[in-house]
Amino acid sequence: MSAIARTNVMDLTAPAIEITDLNKYYGTFHALRSINLTVSKGEKVVVCGPSGSGKSTMIRCINQLEEHDSGAIRVFGTQLDDNLGSIDEIRREVGMVFQQFNLFPHMTVLENCTLAPMLVRKISRAEAEATAMRYLEKVRIPDQAQKFPGQLSGGQQQRVAIARALCMQPEILLFDEPTSALDPEMIAEVLDVMVTLAQEGMTMVCVTHEMGFARKVADRVIFMDKGEIIEEAPPEEFFGQPKSDRTRLFLSQVLGH
Amino acid sequence: MTGPSFLRSRAFRRVTLQAGFVAGLLLLVLAATLTARTNLATQGLTSGFDFLWKSTGWEMNFSLLPTTTADPYWWYLLMGLMNTLFMGTLGLAGASVLGLVVGLMRSGRNPAARLLGTIYIEIFRNLPLILQLFFWYAMANALPAPRASIAFGGALINARGLYLPGLMVGPGTVALAVLSGLVGLGLAIWVLTARRFNRVEPRGQRRVALLAVLAGLIGAGVFVVLGHDPADAWVTLPALQGLKIDGGFRIQPEFYALAIAITTYGAAYVGEIVRGGFKSVGRGQMEAAAALGLSSWHIFTRVRLPLAFRAMLPILINQYVWLIKATTLGIAVGFSDFFMVIASSINHSGQTFEFIGILMAGFLLINFSLAAVLNRLNRAIALKGHQTTGSA
Ligand SMILES: Nc1ncnc2c1ncn2[C@@H]1O[C@H](COP(=O)(O)OP(=O)(O)OP(=O)(O)O)[C@@H](O)[C@H]1O
Ligand SMILES: [Mg+2]
Repeated sequence: MSAIARTNVMDLTAPAIEITDLNKYYGTFHALRSINLTVSKGEKVVVCGPSGSGKSTMIRCINQLEEHDSGAIRVFGTQLDDNLGSIDEIRREVGMVFQQFNLFPHMTVLENCTLAPMLVRKISRAEAEATAMRYLEKVRIPDQAQKFPGQLSGGQQQRVAIARALCMQPEILLFDEPTSALDPEMIAEVLDVMVTLAQEGMTMVCVTHEMGFARKVADRVIFMDKGEIIEEAPPEEFFGQPKSDRTRLFLSQVLGH
Repeated sequence: MTGPSFLRSRAFRRVTLQAGFVAGLLLLVLAATLTARTNLATQGLTSGFDFLWKSTGWEMNFSLLPTTTADPYWWYLLMGLMNTLFMGTLGLAGASVLGLVVGLMRSGRNPAARLLGTIYIEIFRNLPLILQLFFWYAMANALPAPRASIAFGGALINARGLYLPGLMVGPGTVALAVLSGLVGLGLAIWVLTARRFNRVEPRGQRRVALLAVLAGLIGAGVFVVLGHDPADAWVTLPALQGLKIDGGFRIQPEFYALAIAITTYGAAYVGEIVRGGFKSVGRGQMEAAAALGLSSWHIFTRVRLPLAFRAMLPILINQYVWLIKATTLGIAVGFSDFFMVIASSINHSGQTFEFIGILMAGFLLINFSLAAVLNRLNRAIALKGHQTTGSA
């Protein structure tokens, strides 16, 4: 998979993500309360929970889009600390897909996909374009390579965003509600791509309320509420016999009606 | 509720209103021209543009190419236009660079820098430009006499002006060299902005643009080498000779006082436009760039600045056109720009209407071309599709 020389010294035998006793405050508001979570390589974890429960905050701490206040985050053994080098190292290995796609609107789809590999991994344009086309084929939109993001549908834009993240050839992909901004008929095309990635062994942490997706690919489902992890279990158990009342209430709201 | 129904038809009303307006305007212009003609004729004044070929008989205190009192009006007008263009180019470039710095200070996180930027903008934006111009001109005149010139890095400055080291070539040579460089640059911009129109492979186009710039620079070099008299030294350094300065290239106080005033005043406005531009860039795009591992420098140069620039450009075009017009204030300190040449010409020749016509045509030409080029750039880089800078 990796034609690109890794310049960093990640320990691929260590757990992909290891979060211990993580706390995060916004001012005086305690947004994350002593979070502990370990994700091994190749594992797919789905995170769900009510709005404002801290799901985004947690996964954004993993690539330090949010700074945490205490606790430790390790990615393949490399600990995130104040050292900016460790942040760069981890961001190279951790890709992220956002709810709002966040494509660069002034660049073509192809340029969106080649920018970071050329600037960060320092590979040639030709090689970056070849890689980009490979991943655009994987997300089934190679014919849109020369278009601009604003000329694509939401579903297409999100697939470009996934391809853009993949072009960095990350070990881990973080998804923050990747289908929440999409019309129903486009959700399936994005989920299909995500299922394919999961089946190919990508390590994934995915905030989503698509319970069908969770059932199909998750190794573990995590339920968060008020900044805490309330419950974590394999999907059959999570959906079949939820232990906590809050989980049951949440599931009845999401699955119910 | 009465009257024929076509009077209440919207299309009919629109057409009649338009036609009536245009007809009224035409009548007004026609009447004014006829009245002016008869009035001028009774006063024994001739209209027409024959005077353009007469010599002026007065001196111009600053011109990029040599002028003498024997030169005809058209040459003076051309030199005045070039002075305005020169001042405009310097002023716009200076205001843009300084404005970018001020705008960035205002949109950054450092409280000290933000305060400094705010103070700058509040001072320079709220004082009338003419006052600021007089201030800089007074400062320039308060500098010591030539024999007490202040020296810095090969240059000298005193109350008579700023003396810079210069190349030993004639002004005609410099004009040709600059023209060559500008043509190269213009071609490059043309090729680059044409890129989105005719879907040519962008990399080839970038190479052509680079070649155009190189050719322009080589052309400039060739002109300089050809125009240089082998008997002369290559550079001339200003030096004190008795009571005055010898050698070097003198920039008169009127010129640099105006350049400083336009730059600092313009920068206050550009700074606010820059700040607005940066504010309009969604956080999402910058977060995506950070998540991809881009350094903060690359996030700024590849994502934040390009997106902010697209938001700024339409407003900047207005500001630039406005600043060009503001250079006419140079007449207050006696800088021979287009406006001042016209004013002197009117005094000496009495051909008021013709000169005012030329003045208007000159500024329309400058500002139309500037706006046309920038609008083309704006269209070329405008974000494609319905999505703008994005939210969240
Ligand atoms: N930048 C911020 N400043 C202050 N409070 C914040 C900030 N970002 C998030 N919060 C608060 O932290 C809590 C957790 O937010 P977060 O975005 O992580 O929730 P979430 O679980 O992702 O919710 P949603 O499902 O709505 O996306 C919320 O109460 C939110 O109001
Ligand atoms: Mg969220």
